[in-house]
Amino acid sequence: MSAPLREAGAKDWIAGYGIRTPARREARTVDEALEALVSLRAPVVVKLVSQSLHKSDVGGVRLGIDGAAGLREAIASIDRAAGEHGIAVEGYLIEEMVPRGVEVLAGGIVDPVFGPAVVVGFGGVFTEVLNDVVARICPIDSADAHEMIREMKAAPLLFGVRGQPAVDVEALVAVLLALGGPHGIMMEQAHLIREIDLNPVIVSPHGAIAVDARIVLRENDA
Amino acid sequence: MTPDDADLRRDFRPLFEPRAIAIVGASNTGRTRANDVLDFTRAMGFSGPIYPIHPSAATIHGLPAYRSLADCPGEIDYAFVAIAAARVPDLLAQASGRVRYAQIMASGFGETAEGERLNQRLLEVARSQRMRLIGPNCLGTYSPRGRITYIRDCPTEAGSVAFVSQSGGISTDMLRRGVQRGLRYSGVVSVGNCADLGPSDFLEYFLADPDTHVIGFYLESLPDGRRFFETLRSASARKPVVILKGGRTPQGQRAALSHTGALAGDDRLWTALSRQTGAAITSSVDELIDALIGFQCLRARFDRPGDGVFVVGNGGGASVLATDLMSRLGMQVRAPRDDARKALEALELPAGTSIDNPMDTPSGALRMHDGHVARALLSAIARAERPDAILFHVNMPQFLTNPSIPDAVFENLVDGMLEARRSDGDMTPLALTLRSDGSEPIDARKRPARDRALAAGVPVFDEIANALVALAHFQRYERFRHRRLAAERKASTDPPIRRQGGT
Repeated sequence: MSAPLREAGAKDWIAGYGIRTPARREARTVDEALEALVSLRAPVVVKLVSQSLHKSDVGGVRLGIDGAAGLREAIASIDRAAGEHGIAVEGYLIEEMVPRGVEVLAGGIVDPVFGPAVVVGFGGVFTEVLNDVVARICPIDSADAHEMIREMKAAPLLFGVRGQPAVDVEALVAVLLALGGPHGIMMEQAHLIREIDLNPVIVSPHGAIAVDARIVLRENDA
Repeated sequence: MTPDDADLRRDFRPLFEPRAIAIVGASNTGRTRANDVLDFTRAMGFSGPIYPIHPSAATIHGLPAYRSLADCPGEIDYAFVAIAAARVPDLLAQASGRVRYAQIMASGFGETAEGERLNQRLLEVARSQRMRLIGPNCLGTYSPRGRITYIRDCPTEAGSVAFVSQSGGISTDMLRRGVQRGLRYSGVVSVGNCADLGPSDFLEYFLADPDTHVIGFYLESLPDGRRFFETLRSASARKPVVILKGGRTPQGQRAALSHTGALAGDDRLWTALSRQTGAAITSSVDELIDALIGFQCLRARFDRPGDGVFVVGNGGGASVLATDLMSRLGMQVRAPRDDARKALEALELPAGTSIDNPMDTPSGALRMHDGHVARALLSAIARAERPDAILFHVNMPQFLTNPSIPDAVFENLVDGMLEARRSDGDMTPLALTLRSDGSEPIDARKRPARDRALAAGVPVFDEIANALVALAHFQRYERFRHRRLAAERKASTDPPIRRQGGT
């Protein structure tokens, strides 16, 4: 079974297709991490870099870190958690925090019957439970992307409910087109990619940013 | 027809209008599927030569038999092959390029390693002779235009519905039950395992065939899903397509490594295909038949796509349930406009009639003028309201089991509806539900009334729910095609984008 791409690598790849990602630095040691902190705008997030599938499930993600002391403490706790789960620590990914917004999932797969396909959904880590997901076969156009977004049951969350502002839906449309459009990742890289998972993408009135990215490559094309 | 369409029609003519056919597997000692096809096809009036192929018999059913396909005195457009799998490749290898289409009944190609080898051999034999294959593991082809059939007593009149099935049994259901319900086919093909020709090939052909107005499918596994999707997408829904998909799994069947992988299952992508191509997805044979009946009878209006139905008939509870279902189906339930309200009030229907949508007209109202009131009632709705569609429902036992109601009222209701439709010039899509209690006498009255309505082009359904689901498919299709046409018009009238800069 093929391993996912490293998160930073996955983010560089999708950024090349115009999807916004948080400013980030990778570090192998605490010292490198402290150095990275200087070039980023606090608060930051620290994430475990490893082959583990679900970082947050093993305590590998620490949010809202403001300075050197906080960073040292966060890294120590990530190391501890990794040790408890028997996970090898390959390094740390340090990223700027993204302002609050509505969290959605966006992604792509290569289906054995229909080929490249794109999905959008709600629910963060509970996506499977809530099952509010809409798929389309690639390539999609802008009308398809709008239709996908409106088709989600929780779509009103994006258009503003209970005093919350409407988010920049066009920015989410742009993410879906970057994934599933005629010149998107899925159409151009289907020979390499098995699955792409951007979860969450944080959509706010100021745009859409992929906060986490996982790309699984096809086995035989490594 | 485009030039490509003309090519497709010419390529498939030997299958759907064969000049000569061969039947392999018929015998004088037993009765096989091949014997059936020989008899049924002759009974249907096939006028060209039929060549039975048999290793020893001089004649089969009175026709001269031949030892091999190459021994036949003429070219063979269509060969029906009902012998054991192991013998099929050798039989076809002896055809010397004289067979255009061969339909293979036998199973046993592909399920085992030996079957895989047979399948490979079969394909090589066919390709070396430019012969096209249907099947294996299928039942036959019905083409009224070509007078060939594999089911007894199929109509000889050609219709406008095409049906392609990966299950032989369901193709039989659609021919028997579908024809009883009023479907008339341009062609039915049982495609089996699709070793060579498959759903995408027949989709292309039936899109091109001018006699076909709507295309139905029963699908289990698509050998070339991408081509099927792209053919549908580029057709821009120029003909309605209705799919019954067997084996829809809620989640992806493969091991997924991410949320996305786990969520984008087969089922969701069939929904996606429907949204992106306008094809209707159904979930039962009955829903498939209902949808096809609707498309066969109703004329889609792309300039004025619909999203609601005006429901009228006898039954208060039935009206309430109709409202509930319309709302679940995403249909609009519009109250009558003032003009329509006045026109309906002017009919002076008895107390108990609700002038609303749905409009409950108790049997006391519908028996006015011995049932001829249906003409004035439906004309008033069509003219003054101009709804997207009208559904007229008749609870038959209320008219046929009440001794105080004259016997002719029921038939007059149906005739009144047909007169209203004629006087409206078929401007408003109109559907009829004839609700029987399933008893012999009521069903006996239902059949001729249903046939009369169908012959006039009115789709007839057994229950209100079936009619509404079929109308929902019909209106979804109208709206999809309307949007596609608008997008295409916009694309052709927008000025081309000028590149910035340059010389």
